[in-house]
Amino acid sequence: MSNQHRRISRRNLMRGAAGAGAAFTFVPRGVLGGHGVQGANEKLNIAAIGSGGMGGANINKCATENIVALCDVDDQHAAGTFKKFPNAKKYKDFRVMLDKEDKNIDAVIVATPDHTHAVAAMACIKRRKHIYCQKPLAHSIYEVRMLTEAARKYKVQTQMGNQGHSSNEIRLLYEWIQDGAVGPVREIHSWSDRPVGGHPWSDFPIMARPKETPPVPDTLDWDLWLGPVRDRPYHPIYCPTKWRGWYDFGTGALGDMGCHIIDPPFWALKLGAPTRVEASTTHYKPEVASETYPRASVVRYEFPARGKMPPVKLTWYDGRLLPPRPRDLEPGRKLGTNGTVLVGENGSIMHGSHGAGGVRIIPEKKMRAYDRPDQTLPRVKSGSGGHEQDWVRACKDGNPASSSFEYGGPLTETVLLGVLAMRLKNIPLEWDSENMKVTNCDEAAKYVKPEFREGWTL
Amino acid sequence: MRDNKKPKQTKRSKLTRRDFMGAAAAATAFTVVPRHVLGGPRQVAPSEKLNIAGIGVGGRGGGDLRELESENIAVLCDVDSNRLRGASKRYPKAKTYKDFRRMLEKENRNIDAVMVATPDHCHFPASMMAVKMGKHVYCEKPLTHSVYEARTLAEAARKAGVATQMGNQGQAGEGRRLMSETVWDGAIGQVHEAHIWTDRPMRGINGLYWPQGEERPEDEPPVPETLDWDLWLGPAPYRPYHPSYHPFKWRGWWDFGTGALGDIGCHQMDPVFRALKLGHPTTVEACCTIVNDETYPVASRITYEFPARGGLDPVTLHWYDGGMKPPRPKELEEGRAWGTGGTLLVGDKGKMFGDRLIPESRQKAYGKPPQKLERSPGHHKEWILACKGGKPAGSNFPDHAGLLAQVVLLGNLAIRPALKEKLTRVKLHWDGDAMKVTNLPEANQYLRREYRQGWTV
Repeated sequence: MSNQHRRISRRNLMRGAAGAGAAFTFVPRGVLGGHGVQGANEKLNIAAIGSGGMGGANINKCATENIVALCDVDDQHAAGTFKKFPNAKKYKDFRVMLDKEDKNIDAVIVATPDHTHAVAAMACIKRRKHIYCQKPLAHSIYEVRMLTEAARKYKVQTQMGNQGHSSNEIRLLYEWIQDGAVGPVREIHSWSDRPVGGHPWSDFPIMARPKETPPVPDTLDWDLWLGPVRDRPYHPIYCPTKWRGWYDFGTGALGDMGCHIIDPPFWALKLGAPTRVEASTTHYKPEVASETYPRASVVRYEFPARGKMPPVKLTWYDGRLLPPRPRDLEPGRKLGTNGTVLVGENGSIMHGSHGAGGVRIIPEKKMRAYDRPDQTLPRVKSGSGGHEQDWVRACKDGNPASSSFEYGGPLTETVLLGVLAMRLKNIPLEWDSENMKVTNCDEAAKYVKPEFREGWTL
Repeated sequence: MRDNKKPKQTKRSKLTRRDFMGAAAAATAFTVVPRHVLGGPRQVAPSEKLNIAGIGVGGRGGGDLRELESENIAVLCDVDSNRLRGASKRYPKAKTYKDFRRMLEKENRNIDAVMVATPDHCHFPASMMAVKMGKHVYCEKPLTHSVYEARTLAEAARKAGVATQMGNQGQAGEGRRLMSETVWDGAIGQVHEAHIWTDRPMRGINGLYWPQGEERPEDEPPVPETLDWDLWLGPAPYRPYHPSYHPFKWRGWWDFGTGALGDIGCHQMDPVFRALKLGHPTTVEACCTIVNDETYPVASRITYEFPARGGLDPVTLHWYDGGMKPPRPKELEEGRAWGTGGTLLVGDKGKMFGDRLIPESRQKAYGKPPQKLERSPGHHKEWILACKGGKPAGSNFPDHAGLLAQVVLLGNLAIRPALKEKLTRVKLHWDGDAMKVTNLPEANQYLRREYRQGWTV
């Protein structure tokens, strides 16, 4: 499909449906062959699903484009963003928005709670919209797999919201590993202080399901907020900010932070799918253990050899648990609240959260003596801060964004496999990634692919 | 005790005792001389019965007394009259007391030995007082509440020449001996890693023995009539009564208990100590869930590094509690229980899960190690025999339990909330002989504690 054709088509659409005189402007975008390459000077028409919180930040970063429609199940939560973009049409139900605005939008930002990522993103992909979706890509491994495959099939440009993946540091890590800076890596430790980070955004509830049923705020459509999850009464302990701690809605500390903290080694060491995972948790009350993520967990992954790279054991710690102090870390040097250590044969590399922030070979002596390799990877403009714009760029030039679903999907699957292992704690689970199946525990199937509420499908 | 000369058998002390047991009024002048001035505990012939006083006689203490019933349970002491009444039903002839200090003073001449099963914070004052009076002591694990106390009590017991035994009864078992003998036989080669875990304070995967990670309660319910709260507090700083402490839940509180580590560490580290011939570690470090100055954390991992010992390579020992576990070894057959608590030794030629080589086929092929250790007549029996002039019990304070308890309790230093920030930067470097942390001097204040007035030993 020629660019010319598309551009005309689009311009007509931009004028407004009423003014679209020529027949071809009514041809759905998809029929025209999906998204081709958009003119670099042209602006994208972007919609957002989940416009408050992190969504608001993502939208602001895309304000170079036309923000044409904003959707949120809670007017109040999204009020700031709504106000900022007075010309954007406002919706509560993304399904209605997509029906009405289908022809007016090129791309969609999905920043809902985890449990609605998949239904929202999939609806967009099937309409051939480019997608920026917050991390973790979805709430279950099955959802992630479906999204990854759909994005490939419908040839849309995608980006997962693990903004660290656009950083310079993660590229340094990649280049150092390629350079053999610390030799073969067999052991990785990653940790996060969540769910007890000590801030409103990093403290998740650890509790039984509340029994009281406070009234639903006027501004909130609770049924839409629940989306595909089976019905339960509204409570402020879920919405708008505390959903991360609840099995049905969030993915816990690992789901929240794994896509940031495990991302760098996952990429640099090309870890791919693990073959085995096992979790220990602090849960002891059935009524709590059946509802929320634990106060702390340790999740152990095993990745097989990849080419010349040896097998890797990766251990995840949360709730302020930490790995044993790394052998290569000098006394006096702090083990941060969130981070990763890659233990190589000839040294280690340590970094913080969000794209290998502060990446260093340890000990520092070794870092200083290191003869850094030439840059082999292109950098993303503005690094982590340019993550959204990297996606905008991809939508326009057709070259994948830094953390497209092709990459973000498998990363999220790995993270979610650990989340799944917490539900089946103390059982070493054998994972057949290709068939998306835990081969030694039938009970796992319901966590790989949870059931949706009636009326919701992918 | 191995390092102590046997106190001389004196006819006089025997007479003294008989006199006293007969009738207090019969006391003659020489009986006024305190027992310990006479140079140590009374020698009791194997055919004779020991007179034993129990301090803390409910719960575990009651269990200990039942194991000692071959002897004369002469005195019962408990701060809770309910518990005292319960024990009295079983031992109707025994005198009863609330305050062990008063009991020891009054009954000095009537008792040979003391069983201490109070909450952890009272172990030391009770045991130390008894040792100083020349009484044989059986004390529940962990031996004491602080590192300093464990060392001091062990030294005092050595000096007094009394027979001692810590209440880690598993040490007397067959399995423990098999573990040592298998390791010593070289079945798994040099051991570089040991993993020890317990579910506590959790109970299995869906229960709880006692809470940790809690704040101090603010309400002040009335003290039960049966309880002498001030005596229960003993040496600990005063605080109002609350059922969150007594009974049993004291284990989770810094002021009273020693957490999951203190509860189970002396049980499960014991066989590893023996098999690997461990002494003091050189470093200790830990991580844990949120911890405050009131209670121990919900879960922790504590890592000790032990130096080379003779021909034995250095060992790293990882302790896990609150549901944390080491990675399940591939050698353990699928479907085989990994347990709510356990021990894994990783050698350069194999692994042991508890006292068995894994996989089981290896154990079967290996059979039994050559026997090198004498078998035990039973944990409590060991102590009874030692009290009567036999050889020291397996977990006596000076030769074993004192050191074991010091090392166990050192682990709690590494999760002290006040040190937490600093401990993200260093491991604690431990000089066991000098009993001090060498690289973080402020940590040393937690090796001992202050006692409330009237409770200094």
